[in-house]
Amino acid sequence: MKAVNWDELAELAELAVSRVRASGAEYGDIRILDSEVQTVHGEDRRIAKVRHNRDSGFGVRVLYRGAWGFAASSILSPEEVPRVAELAVEIAKGSAGLVNEPVCLADEPVHRDQVITPRRIDPFSVPLEDKTTLLLDVMEYVHRQPGVVRSRANLWARRDLKLFVSSEGSRLEFDLLATQGDFEATAVYDGRFASRSFSTPHLRTGYELIADANFLAEAPRIAAQAVEKVKAPPVDPGRYDLVLDPEHLSLTIHESCGHPSELDRALGYEANYAGTSFLTPDKRGTFRYGSTHVNLVADNTEPETLAATGYDDDGVTCQKWDIVREGIFVGYCTNRETASKIGEPRSRGSNRADGWGSVPIVRIANIGLEPGAATLNDLIADVKRGIYIEGHGSYSIDQRRYNFQFGGDAFWLIENGRRAHMLRDVIYYGITPEFWGSCDGVADRSHRRRYGFITCGKGQPGQSGWMTHAAAHARFRNVNVIRGQAAS
Amino acid sequence: MTEGSAAAPKLTDRDEFRFLADLVFKRSSGDQTFVALHDQHGGTVRFANNQVIQNVDTRRISFSVTVAFGRRHGTADTTDLTAGSVQDALTRAERLARVAPEDPEYLPPVEPQSYPIAPTSRPETAAAGPSGRLAYARQAIELCRTERLTAAGIVSSAAAAVGVAASNGLFAHEERTEARFSLTAQAGEATGWASAAHRSIDRLAVGERTRFAIDKAKRSIEAKEMPAGRYTVILEAPAVAGLLTWFIWMLDAKAFYKGTSPFSGKLGQQIIDPRLSLKNRPDHPDLLGYGFTSEGLPVKESTWIEAGVLRQLSYDRFTAKERGIDLIATLESPLFSGDESAKADVGDLIRSTARGVLVTTFWYIRPVNPTDLTLTGMTRDGTFLVEDGRITTAVRNFRFHDSPLRVFTEIDAFTVPQEAVTAETGKLLVPAMKIRDFNFSSVTRF
Repeated sequence: MKAVNWDELAELAELAVSRVRASGAEYGDIRILDSEVQTVHGEDRRIAKVRHNRDSGFGVRVLYRGAWGFAASSILSPEEVPRVAELAVEIAKGSAGLVNEPVCLADEPVHRDQVITPRRIDPFSVPLEDKTTLLLDVMEYVHRQPGVVRSRANLWARRDLKLFVSSEGSRLEFDLLATQGDFEATAVYDGRFASRSFSTPHLRTGYELIADANFLAEAPRIAAQAVEKVKAPPVDPGRYDLVLDPEHLSLTIHESCGHPSELDRALGYEANYAGTSFLTPDKRGTFRYGSTHVNLVADNTEPETLAATGYDDDGVTCQKWDIVREGIFVGYCTNRETASKIGEPRSRGSNRADGWGSVPIVRIANIGLEPGAATLNDLIADVKRGIYIEGHGSYSIDQRRYNFQFGGDAFWLIENGRRAHMLRDVIYYGITPEFWGSCDGVADRSHRRRYGFITCGKGQPGQSGWMTHAAAHARFRNVNVIRGQAAS
Repeated sequence: MTEGSAAAPKLTDRDEFRFLADLVFKRSSGDQTFVALHDQHGGTVRFANNQVIQNVDTRRISFSVTVAFGRRHGTADTTDLTAGSVQDALTRAERLARVAPEDPEYLPPVEPQSYPIAPTSRPETAAAGPSGRLAYARQAIELCRTERLTAAGIVSSAAAAVGVAASNGLFAHEERTEARFSLTAQAGEATGWASAAHRSIDRLAVGERTRFAIDKAKRSIEAKEMPAGRYTVILEAPAVAGLLTWFIWMLDAKAFYKGTSPFSGKLGQQIIDPRLSLKNRPDHPDLLGYGFTSEGLPVKESTWIEAGVLRQLSYDRFTAKERGIDLIATLESPLFSGDESAKADVGDLIRSTARGVLVTTFWYIRPVNPTDLTLTGMTRDGTFLVEDGRITTAVRNFRFHDSPLRVFTEIDAFTVPQEAVTAETGKLLVPAMKIRDFNFSSVTRF
């Protein structure tokens, strides 16, 4: 990536901000981004794709008489920046004719800062040969397992250089890095097929994440479990106690807690697409979301996590706050626009766009399940008939986030306090507050792991949100389980 | 609102793209070089609670360069078409390709082709701009407000210049436009929905579709809870499109031959109701067909399912070569249609139903079991009980748990194809269907 000259970019930014100020608009900002993404994709013992993407451009956001306008362009030039800024102003003026309740931004101090996310090894400096060799080796290891017929392996890294300048005087410089890797084995048996995968979390770290993950040591276990899974007996439908691992819980938390805690959803902004929320503002502070074991905390300050970027795309400082405290719903993810609508004096700093061409919207924060006091063995030991689930599988939830249904990547039957054998086709479903109400144990901090998402879909046009969900293993009692087959 | 700064910028035309491509080919050290362009200008006005909440306009240029040395290949992208950035993309692609391992499945770019001239662009969409989109949004909001309902939705429009070219002489370029409208009308907790996509922004039928969503929302008030179980269902076209889309996504030929496809072993076999066929119709004026694929293959009409029999798979070029397939069929403009027994509309299906559930659309459809293509998802924005040939009440939303491979063999009746587009699908022409024993596995709270 080219060295960035922040002052040169700031001069371009000023061309936009000065136009916004001159227009009489009450607020405006510009984000200038230069992103690079490297993808190495392996499939069936070959490197199928090696790609390096450079994506640069800028977006100008204007608030005029309480109405938004936004314009963006990938042409970053002294001629294009003022043209786009004026277009954003014109669009905002047009919007103002269709606004009943003018936007009022919550106050935020002016910030001038530079944010660099942590890294030891720059993934873009690691020789490509090292990466392709690793992926070819891991696929080779996977295919040594009889019964495995397909493999997949990926390495991914993204770096964003971003300048945020607002008409209020904020100037923020960002150098944000994220890394991830994964692989998968698919086995066939008796006309069926099943996959088992291994994935590092997406984290704001360097290539040390991949080096520490030790793919080659994990590959034989993953391949063997793919075969064991495809040969495993199907689950008998019924009610089971579930013990869920941190990777699996990251998705459960994301779908059933993260999305309903987005205030824009609760206020109807997403009614046409992602949906609304059963966690309406009148429930804040009183609604029992889960058992007293359930403490869900948003923490956008924890280093290496995806939403820990110092500031959000409103220029608001990243923060830590409670979403669910001892089972009671207490807080939302907000931005400067929505915070004031529920009487909060300051945004929680959860307004993010997925690129220069997208307008920032409220996104789920790094919401994690606070650790408890148990061990994984404790949780399993107290289960007579249950299922232990690892990883992500099928997932679906209604648009108000009540009725969910999840699968997983791997399942083990628990009988009389011990893991017996693998199962296949396990699907569990429930209603969000009833499910979290059945949580009667969370493992301690030594079991805590962080997993994240970079493909959280929301907004129109669609955007991908990034956030991390940390958790330790947790137990849920008496959950409905069905068999994932058409005839069931 | 004036259109001064909002005037549509000029997109990269055919000659400019050819100039750019030739420049890259001249400078490339690769054995083969392939370039792709996507230069798009468009925007979306988004509304909720009867007011505009977002109003965006974006110009994005994407240009990619793929270089191959023998079977080693690498790709680099840029959003900047200045000479220095294009050269930088070429240099990055060359650097990747030099050190990438040999890919046994790499094939050189396709040979030069002739392409059909597809009606992919409409000037009224390219010229619509923020004010054109806003006018349609205003129409939808005002209709909802008049009915004391709350509107949430979008109006979007975009024009794009799309091109592919290769150092072997392959060259294709065309302009494409697309407009979308989607509306959720809300009557308190009750919702009704409608959606449209078309090459022409003036063919979105905003007024008609808004009134459709309003009617659904009004009928959805005071939904009653019914138990989960197997029901006769009437799936409106968007609900069928949701199931068919996953069906189409799973037609991958490589997975088929590796035994990791729900269709493995079923080519040439009857897999769905024999009255139904699935074709690709890139020339259909109400679909979003185009002239060529991202690899430069010409898009042609093709038959995928004929009288219920699976006739076609989705081939990558390597698998096609391996299997001796000369013509690679594509399915970006699906027309799913039935025989002469098709009914005129959903009303006919309702009138012939003694007891069943009418489903407007599905939401959050995801695979459950890749072997038998079991899917799950929720009904959304208008679910009703039908009794004695008429809608009697709204019902709470169900979760389904079933496979289109089974569902499309349990068809009692169907309509002629209708336009369908959802938040999770592209645009298709599909029939509404009456299905026997559809599996609703659970119920939600609204």
